[in-house]
Amino acid sequence: MKRILAVALLAAAVTACGSGDDGESAGGKTKITFSYWGSDARQKLTEEAIKKFEQKNPAIDVEGDFSDWDSYYEKLATKVAAGDAPDVMTIEIRGLAEYAGRGALADLSGKVDTADLDASVLPAGQVDGKQYALPTGVNSFSLVVNKSTIEKAGQKLPDDASWTWDDFVSLAQQISEKGGGTIYGAEYNYNPAFLQIFAAQRGEKLYDNGKIGVSAQTVKDWWAVIHKLIETKGAPDAAKMAEVGTKVDQALLATNTGAMGLWWSNQLGALTKGSGQELDLMRVPKAQGATTSGMFLQPAMHYAISAKTEHSAEAQKFIDFMLNDPEAGAIVLSDRGLPINSKVLAAIKDKLPPADQKVLAFMDSVKSELVPTVVPPKGAMQMEDILKRNSEEVMFGKTTPDAGAQKFLQEANAALAG
Amino acid sequence: MTTDSVAVEPRAAQLRPPAHRREKKQPWKRREARTAYVFLAPWFLGLFAITIGPILASLYLSFTEYNLLEDPKWVGWANYAEMFTEDDRFLTSLKVTTIYVVVSVPMQLAFALALALALDRGLCGLPIYRSIYYLPSLLGGSVAISILWRKIFGTDGLVNSVLAIFGIQGPGWVTDPDTALGTLILLHVWTFGAPMVIFLAGLRQIPQSYYEAAAVDGAGRFRQFRSITLPLLTPIIFFNLVLEVIKSFQSFTQSFIVSNGTGGPVDSTLFYTLYLYLKGFKSFEMGYAAAMAWVLLVIIAGLTGVNFLMSKYWVFYGDTK
Amino acid sequence: MATPSNAVRGKAAFPLFRPAPRLVKHLLLIAFGLVMLYPLLWMVSSSFKPEELIFREPGLWPSQVTLDNYTEGWVALKHSFGYYLWNSAVITALSVVANLVACSLAAYAFARLDFPLKKVWFAVMLGSIMLPHHVTVVPQYIMFAKFEWINTIWPLVVPKFLATDAFFIFLMVQFIRTLPRELDEAAAIDGAGYWKTFFRVIIPLCMPALATTGIFTFIWTWNDFFSQNLYLTNSDNLTVPVALRQFLDSSGESSWGPMFAMSIVSLGPIFGFFLAGQKYLIRGMATTGLK
Repeated sequence: MKRILAVALLAAAVTACGSGDDGESAGGKTKITFSYWGSDARQKLTEEAIKKFEQKNPAIDVEGDFSDWDSYYEKLATKVAAGDAPDVMTIEIRGLAEYAGRGALADLSGKVDTADLDASVLPAGQVDGKQYALPTGVNSFSLVVNKSTIEKAGQKLPDDASWTWDDFVSLAQQISEKGGGTIYGAEYNYNPAFLQIFAAQRGEKLYDNGKIGVSAQTVKDWWAVIHKLIETKGAPDAAKMAEVGTKVDQALLATNTGAMGLWWSNQLGALTKGSGQELDLMRVPKAQGATTSGMFLQPAMHYAISAKTEHSAEAQKFIDFMLNDPEAGAIVLSDRGLPINSKVLAAIKDKLPPADQKVLAFMDSVKSELVPTVVPPKGAMQMEDILKRNSEEVMFGKTTPDAGAQKFLQEANAALAG
Repeated sequence: MTTDSVAVEPRAAQLRPPAHRREKKQPWKRREARTAYVFLAPWFLGLFAITIGPILASLYLSFTEYNLLEDPKWVGWANYAEMFTEDDRFLTSLKVTTIYVVVSVPMQLAFALALALALDRGLCGLPIYRSIYYLPSLLGGSVAISILWRKIFGTDGLVNSVLAIFGIQGPGWVTDPDTALGTLILLHVWTFGAPMVIFLAGLRQIPQSYYEAAAVDGAGRFRQFRSITLPLLTPIIFFNLVLEVIKSFQSFTQSFIVSNGTGGPVDSTLFYTLYLYLKGFKSFEMGYAAAMAWVLLVIIAGLTGVNFLMSKYWVFYGDTK
Repeated sequence: MATPSNAVRGKAAFPLFRPAPRLVKHLLLIAFGLVMLYPLLWMVSSSFKPEELIFREPGLWPSQVTLDNYTEGWVALKHSFGYYLWNSAVITALSVVANLVACSLAAYAFARLDFPLKKVWFAVMLGSIMLPHHVTVVPQYIMFAKFEWINTIWPLVVPKFLATDAFFIFLMVQFIRTLPRELDEAAAIDGAGYWKTFFRVIIPLCMPALATTGIFTFIWTWNDFFSQNLYLTNSDNLTVPVALRQFLDSSGESSWGPMFAMSIVSLGPIFGFFLAGQKYLIRGMATTGLK
C-alpha cells in the first residue's frame, strides 16, 4: 500500500517538475539561463520580454532564474562557486567589482552594441578598463516631496537650486510642528548614497583608490544633520525610523505621515502608489557654499555574462535585445531604471506611467549637474550594513560621533581591504 | 561526547550470557547486529553518500581563505585565531545567542509543557484549542512575520496600545537596541507549538492503566502528575531540551526576517548563524564562516554531551526499568 | 516545592470549585488564544483590505472589504498559485513518506538493537544536525550539481529517503524507549523476529511519534524556503514559499495584499494536515493500551 502510494507520487513528481533538463533541449535549441531579482511585477514583465526574445530567436531558449532580493546574492554566489553560474546574470553595481575582479564575469567590450547607449553611464560597468557589465537603466538619489503636505503646513516649497541643509532641517521642523504629532517633516536613512552626495558637496569622494575617501569630520557633520532633524522633531527618532525601515511601502511618504524623504528616483512610482497623493522629485539640499549638488547617475542594475558560459553568443544576443530592442523596451519600460538607450527611450517615452514621466522630466532638468558614478571597490557590498550599524550606534547614543566616525572608517576600510 | 544513556543496557539480563562470555560472539548476537545494520542501511547510505561529504568539505574550508569565486587558499588556524582575538562582532554574536538560548529555551519548554498538560484531556473542544495554539508555529519562518511582529511590538503596536491605557508610553520594542532581543525571545516562545505537540504525543504514550492504578491507591491529581506523568515524560522532555538547545543555537530565520538580515539595531539581534551567514555570503569569507560553524559545533556538541551525562540522573526510560 | 500534604489539601479544596473551573478554564484558554492569534488575525484582516490601505489603516477592522488580493494574488505570478501549491504538495508528500519509513527504521535499530560502534554512530547521527547548514550548502550544491540533480526534486527528496533528518530519528528513538521492553519480549516469546516486532509492536504503539514526524515533516517541507529556492530555479518548478517571496521586493514595490492573501491560502493545507494528523497524535498507548 505504502509502496503503491510512493510510486504514484514519484510518477506525479516527474510530471510536475519534469521540465528541469539542462544544456541543449529538444529541437536543437540552445538554452541559456538568466538570473534576476525583484517582485512579481518584474517577473511578469521579464517573462514577457523573454517570450518576445524567443519568438525573434527561435533557436534560443531562455530560462528565467528568479529570486527575491534577500536571497539573490547567496544563491548566485553558491552557483558561481559550484561552476553552475547562470549564463546571463543581473548584478548590482556594488557587487560588480567583487565578481569582475575575481574572474566570474566575461568582458563585454565590443561584444554588445553600445552605440546608442548613454556613453556617460558606461563607465559604471567597467572594472580595470574592461566592460564587464552593462547598465540596465539609470536612477539618481533624490529628494521626494509631498507638496500638499508642505503647503498644508503653511510652508512654501524651497528653491531647490540654492537651498542648504540648514534650510532643509528648519523646513522639516516647521512641518512637524504644524503636523500635530502625526506628520513628520522629513524621514532619513543611512544609505551610502546619501553620504556620497553629502561628501561630494564638500569635494570628497566616498571611495577613493580602493579606500574610503570621506573624512571623519564629514561623517560627523552628516550625522549632525540627521541628529538635528531628530532633535528638532523634524524627523522621527532613531528607533521609530528603524521601525519604518527602508522598505518603500512603509515609508512615511507612502503612508502620508511625512513630507520629505531621500529615495532613489525610480522609487517615486511605488511611493506615489502607497500614498495615493501627488509626489514630486527635487534636488537634494547643498552644503553652505557648495559648487555641486553631488547628485549622481547610478545604474539601477547591470547585465553581465558568466566567464564560464558555453553560450556567449546567445547570451550577448539576449543582453543586446534587452538593452537595444525597442520591443523589449516597450515591455520592460522603466522597471530596471530609465533606459539608457536613447532610441529606446524615445520610443517608449509616452508609454511610461505618470510617475516615471515625472522622473524622466526631473532627470532631464538636472542632467547637466549629475556626475556619473564609478564602480565601488571590492567589499562595497558590506558598506550599507557598516554605515547603518555605526550610524545607529551614534543615533541611539551608544557611542559618541567622534568614536563612531573613527569606528566607521576603520571598519569600512577593513571591508574594502578584503 | 558520551551517549551512554542511549546505549541499550543489557536488557533482560537473565536471558543473556554472563558478561565475561559476551566477548565470544554468540550467533544470536551477530544476527542482531546484522539486522541492525539492515535497519540502518538507508541511514548509512545517506550518511556516506550525502551528509558526510559536505561536512568534511566544510571542515577543510575552515582552514582556508575562500571567497567562493576563486579556489580556496590554505591558511591553517588563522580563521580560528582571528575569531577569538580580533573579531568583536563574533564575541557579540556569541553573547547575543547565549542570552537568547538561556532565556528562551526554558521559557518555551515550560510554556509548551504547561499548555500540553492543559490541552491533553478533560475539557470539551480541546482539539480546537490545540489547533489554534499550534497556528502561530505554522507561521514561524514566514516572511509575513517581520510585518506582524511590528504590529505587536512597534511604536504604534498592540503592546503599546495596551500600555497607553495605563498611561505608559512604550518604546518601539523591535527597533530599540535594548529590547529588540527580548522581542525575538518572545517570538520564539510564541512558536511553542512544536515542543507542545511532542509533549502531547508523549503524554499519550503513558498507559491509562497507570493512572487507574494510582487512583485506586488514592493518589491525587498532583501526586499522579509527580509520580507518573513527569517521570514517564522525562525522555520526551529530554528530547525537547536537547533539540531546542541545538535549534536555538542555530536560530537564523527569525532574526534574519525581523532585522532585515542585518542583526540590528546595533547588532542587538546578531545571532551566531546570522553573523556566519553575513560573513560567508556578504563578505565572501566562506572559510571564516566554516570555521565559525565548527566552533559552534564544538559548543553545541559539548552542551549536548553535558545534557546526556546529566540525563542519567533524571531521565527514566521504559526499556531500562 | 509542593509537598504531598499540599497536594492533599489542594485536592480537598477542589470540589468546592467544581463547576466554575471548567468555565474559567475555557475563558482563559479563549482569551489567551486570542492574544496568540492577534498577528494572524491582523494578517487575515489585511488580506481583505484594499492594498493601499494596509499600512495607511493599521487597525484590525477593515473599513473596506475586498477579495481583490485573493483574485489578484492567485494569478499574479507566471503560473496560477494552484500550480505552486501542487509543486509543493508533491515534494511534501514524498518527504513525509520518506521520513516516516527511513527514520523509523533507523530509530528502531538505535533504540532496541545492539550492534558494534553503536554509541559512535549515534553521536555521528546527532552531530550531523549540529553544523549550521550555511557552510555545507556550497559543497552540497556542488555535489548535487555533479549528480545533475539541479532543477529536479531529487536534492529535496532523496536525502529524506536516506534518513538524513536526524531530528526525527532521535525523536523516534526517544519515543520507542518509553515503551516497556516487556512488549518486545512478549512478542519474541510468541516467535516474532525483529521485523515482525517492529511492524506489529513498535509501529502501532508509536503512532503519536509517527504522527508528530508526519506533521513536522509536512510543515517544515512546506515552509522550507532555503533549499527549494536554491535547487528549483526554473520558474516552472517553483514551490509555495519561493513563490510567496516573489510578492516582496525589498528595494521596490511589494505586493503585500496578495502576499498576505496567498500566505493564508498556503496555510490551508498545513492546517488541514495538522487537523487530520492530530487524531493519530492522541492515539497512543493511552488509548490502545497494553495488549
